[in-house]
Amino acid sequence: MNPEIIEQAFRDYGALRRTDTDPELEAVRAAILLEDLLEVTLPDAGIDPAVLADASAVAALVARLWRGV
Amino acid sequence: MCGVCGIVSYGGPPDLALLRRMMGRLAHRGPDGNGYYRDRRAALGHTRLAIIDTSGGAQPLCNEDGTVWVTFNGEIFNYVELGEELRNCGHSFRTASDTEVIVHAWEEWGKECFSRFNGQWAIALWDRRAERLVLSRDRLGVRPLFFARVSTGLLFASEVKSIFADPSVERAFDPVGLDQTLTYWSPVAPRTVFRGIEQLEPGHYAVLDRDGFRKAPYWRITFPERGREPMQDVRENVDALRERIIEATRLRFVRSDVPVGAYLSGGLDSSVTAAVIAHYTSVPLHTFSLRFSDGEFDEGQYQKKMSALLGTEHQDIMVNPSDIAAVFPEAVRHTETPILRAAPAPLFLLSKLVRENGYKVVVTGEGADEVLAGYDIFREARVRLFWSRDPESAKRARAAELLYPWMARSPGQVPAFARSFFGRHLDPGDPALSHRPRWDSTSVIKSMLSGGLRDRISRAETEDVVAAMPPGSEDWDPLSRGQWLEMTTLLAGYILASQGDRMLMANSVEGRFPFLDRDVVDFADALPARHKLFGLEEKYLLKRAFADLVPKEIIQRPKQPYRAPDAASFFAEDRPAWFDELMSKRAIAAAGVFEPSAVAGLMAKGRRTGGENMSNTDNMRVLAIVSTQLTYETFIAEGGSGELDQALPDPSVAVDLVTDDRSVQ
Repeated sequence: MNPEIIEQAFRDYGALRRTDTDPELEAVRAAILLEDLLEVTLPDAGIDPAVLADASAVAALVARLWRGV
Repeated sequence: MCGVCGIVSYGGPPDLALLRRMMGRLAHRGPDGNGYYRDRRAALGHTRLAIIDTSGGAQPLCNEDGTVWVTFNGEIFNYVELGEELRNCGHSFRTASDTEVIVHAWEEWGKECFSRFNGQWAIALWDRRAERLVLSRDRLGVRPLFFARVSTGLLFASEVKSIFADPSVERAFDPVGLDQTLTYWSPVAPRTVFRGIEQLEPGHYAVLDRDGFRKAPYWRITFPERGREPMQDVRENVDALRERIIEATRLRFVRSDVPVGAYLSGGLDSSVTAAVIAHYTSVPLHTFSLRFSDGEFDEGQYQKKMSALLGTEHQDIMVNPSDIAAVFPEAVRHTETPILRAAPAPLFLLSKLVRENGYKVVVTGEGADEVLAGYDIFREARVRLFWSRDPESAKRARAAELLYPWMARSPGQVPAFARSFFGRHLDPGDPALSHRPRWDSTSVIKSMLSGGLRDRISRAETEDVVAAMPPGSEDWDPLSRGQWLEMTTLLAGYILASQGDRMLMANSVEGRFPFLDRDVVDFADALPARHKLFGLEEKYLLKRAFADLVPKEIIQRPKQPYRAPDAASFFAEDRPAWFDELMSKRAIAAAGVFEPSAVAGLMAKGRRTGGENMSNTDNMRVLAIVSTQLTYETFIAEGGSGELDQALPDPSVAVDLVTDDRSVQ
């Protein structure tokens, strides 16, 4: 998928992000979106508020997944 | 909107008295007039609800030389543009109706004409010279069209009760049609619940002539391969969707010679259509809503908010459980098929309110959930897919809590429930991953079927809807596969039929559905799935497209599926007398569908609890049984009340070439 589209999708997701829910549950919500967008499967360790909270951490995770690391 | 019927006879001329009886049974679909045409091979009947060209559009209607005749139920919304094109091709018109466009379009383009129509229709064309009958139904099945192939010819009609006007037509349940109903919630076209009665598949046309009977699609539900969708830019798609929905809504509002009202449910879809009408037309808007005395189902506060915001003249009807029970037999007389929810009955009362207020056309939000991915079933499927990638992951199992607020409120109950419901058949390669939980939980009703019916079902050749998925669908996004299944089963078979056309036409009201516009559907089907279901955010593009016209409170509220009290409607103290008799062991045994002792057990449970707090399965069981019994009593048992012959006023079109060849020049 075009990187611009992915970036746009993350920005759009940022607008929808909920702050009033359990952060772990919010990480699951983000993981569902991410896996659908990128057709990747996150390890359990990646379904984590710390990993999915900001765009740069997500980008690093995705890069690792795409490299197969 | 109207009623159509007809006969093609292989022997002598069709029986005119039979045709008139068939028309009489469609009087509710067309109280404004009626007409017929007959020659030595075919007869067409029509009952009219006059909406376009109210003074000149009487049917059946013919071409310039009287060789092609049509009887038509529905609307061709682009008839003005098509008429212009046909005039440029040399056709001359006698009326300003969309019906005449159909005749000339058939002459000009043959079967290709159907893909040019943007509308909702059931059409029968009779070509005298070729002795050819052509039947056609709109893309998604808004308008019904049934037929029976009998030894003497073919009968067709908008409703089954019209075909049953012929006493030689068999009346019996079709085991496969019942089996489908107790799996998919309705029979899947061409099946019905009646043996020998077929319905033309949506998006198809059929031909009967000297070469026999055949059917073919002119349009199919299709989706692009995942990742190869033509339009990837979400902002461009927001604008394009908005433009199409505005045009579709505007067309449905202005292409009418009588006033058009709108339903307002309190949800997003009808709020969008009502807001578009209010903002993009200059005509005052009258809105109608359904309310429930039971707060669990009521959406009154949102309806009022939207109506106040748009400044509509608003009316609602408050429905309580005993109203549902009281009107239920009449509702089933119109659904002509068993239903697993009571939801159609309040819609019958709502269309009555519309009619009593002098309206005979309403615009509604139907179809948005299927076309733009609003149903919970699509979110559930995404959660199931997510979970299926590692069923042992505790983190993934938590995804079920995102679906429904009560799960987040009751975390202790979640794992057990989620595993039992969403965790079944977690096969990511299953093309019907989205629908297995619903089909499984519905099929539980079959445990109450009689031994005789179970035998007949097991001996019958069943039709697997999953096997009928189009080649290439394995490359679609999983959401698209779920949408295909939903449009092929529930939309056509239940939403547009039992909750749609039948409840509206029972009170002579036409429904118009902007979200099922040809251009909206084709556009939406081609979208990337993530633009419809963005993560777990349903109808994402629609929400963005109309964020300026619909208040945040409505856009952001959790999806509330339209529901009505089910079993509770039938076990209240003031339940109608007919209910106990209809569900008695004697009556259950006579119908032969369910096991009397099993029904007695369910009835005892219902009486004990007053129908309150029954499980979802038991609610469906009660509704399935009572509606099946009513279907049997009304249409199959001797002396059924569904077949009241109504006298029609004098016809405005009466062309009988059998008795008088000079009638048409």
